[in-house]
Amino acid sequence: MINSVRATVLAVLNKSNYGYISPSDFNLYAKQAQLDLFEDYFYTYNFQVNKENVRQSGTGIADLKKSLEEVIEFFSVTADLTHVALNTFTPPSDYYLINKLLFNNGTKLKEMEKVTHSKITMLNNSLLTAPNETFPAYTLEENVITAYPSTIDANGEVKCQYFRYPKDPKWTFINLSAGEPSFDSTAADYQDFELPLSDEPNLVVKILEYAGVSIREAEVVQFAKTEETQNINEESR
Amino acid sequence: MAYISQYAYYENSGAVPENANWGSYQYVSLEDIVNNFMLMYSGNHELINNEDRYKVLFHAKRGIQELNYDAFKEIKTLELEVCDTLRFVLPSDYVNWVRISLYKGGVLRPLTENIQINGATAYLQDNDCRILFDASGNALSPQYSEIDFDRIKNQKKSIYLNDASPYNGKEGYCYNGDWYFEYNIGARYGLNTETANFNPTFRIDNKGGVINFSSHMSGETCILEYVSDGMENGSDSKVTVNKLFEDFIYAYIQYAILNSKLGVQEYIVRRAQKNKSALLRNAKIRISNIHPGRLLMNLRGRDKWIK
Repeated sequence: MINSVRATVLAVLNKSNYGYISPSDFNLYAKQAQLDLFEDYFYTYNFQVNKENVRQSGTGIADLKKSLEEVIEFFSVTADLTHVALNTFTPPSDYYLINKLLFNNGTKLKEMEKVTHSKITMLNNSLLTAPNETFPAYTLEENVITAYPSTIDANGEVKCQYFRYPKDPKWTFINLSAGEPSFDSTAADYQDFELPLSDEPNLVVKILEYAGVSIREAEVVQFAKTEETQNINEESR
Repeated sequence: MAYISQYAYYENSGAVPENANWGSYQYVSLEDIVNNFMLMYSGNHELINNEDRYKVLFHAKRGIQELNYDAFKEIKTLELEVCDTLRFVLPSDYVNWVRISLYKGGVLRPLTENIQINGATAYLQDNDCRILFDASGNALSPQYSEIDFDRIKNQKKSIYLNDASPYNGKEGYCYNGDWYFEYNIGARYGLNTETANFNPTFRIDNKGGVINFSSHMSGETCILEYVSDGMENGSDSKVTVNKLFEDFIYAYIQYAILNSKLGVQEYIVRRAQKNKSALLRNAKIRISNIHPGRLLMNLRGRDKWIK
């Protein structure tokens, strides 16, 4: 998809000889555009849930929440957390959102509850609700996850299911001696967009927006903005 | 999770104790209750949304505690020997007593509670009756108060009951099973029927955590029937609820959360409250297990002649 996106972007920019963007600039804009759209998915998902709650959402193929879930779940990863010391663990380096932590007690996986720092002390002091191995909990501070009860203190005891950031897209090419760089999808560092094909127009618009600002072309920015607004209006209907 | 196999049920899959799973099918665990509630009653389309699990756990436990106090009718029993201090330390999970009995000669004799004081805390006093304090300003206490000492050393009088004896109904001292009486001077009127019982009496010191017995309980076996709160000494994995109350617990949690949540319409709270109460009534009727076979034996008793 990345080559097609780049070709479209260049086609729009070159149409009136507005300018040209280099592969490295394109890769930077592509990364920003993908992150922007990726984050939007979570907000759109919430919007759809709210619509569903007020019975403004359909079922079957009209169930938009389902398709949004599919896109988001593409980025879902389950991995063991690295044990640091005592009952602390390191969260994954590429996480966008930790969905759940699971405590493996040897026979069963128990879901650990995310608790805020304003509550954990009182919870630990409460006879009825103190975290234990049946109902474990955790807190997150900087880059450290602390598990409760403190007996959760070994490697392999805590699993994490999280949503990772999309990988940085990279349009790779072979340098030609004269003329345009030629696309090379076999390069080791090649990375396509991870968003679905349906997002291609949105990616083009987003990249155009960044490119328009870069080449100081107000008309391109205006075009991209109008396209984007139109998309948002369609989706929120 | 699959149900356990017959082998696991009857023989605990060869592990000890063998009886670990006997009767377990009657109960649903606290873990299941919280899990099911989070799955079925909490979420985007439910009345309850974005509620922390620890809150659900708290209300589930409170509901179970309330049920244990009366509706469950699950009475625990503990047998201990009462030594010469005439004390029975309350069990660690004790909440309230149901019956206290003396087990003697193969017969269970329910004891009566003595509502008169039979023990007290005392302070040391000087000759002018002034209380003595330690360096921290706390009043000094003897090991036993005089009333405790008299009871424990059997220096308290009690009433002798024996129709065939001329001393029937008189106050005396029971020592090692033998009775000793003072000379009667004048007449003795009345009998305290409340404590006029051949068996020992007791009084519960709730704050002190002990049951104090009258002196002839020394060396005897006491059986305490009591209710707990079902919290299994804080071991959440062991907390269970009878399945007949499962729906009630869900309704209880739902009501408790809705009732304390801001902005919930009153009619929704009332609906949850009514649902909870109705389910509790149903469950209580079910657990009473009233059926013709049971009633029949009781009703047969109505034709018996009382002499």
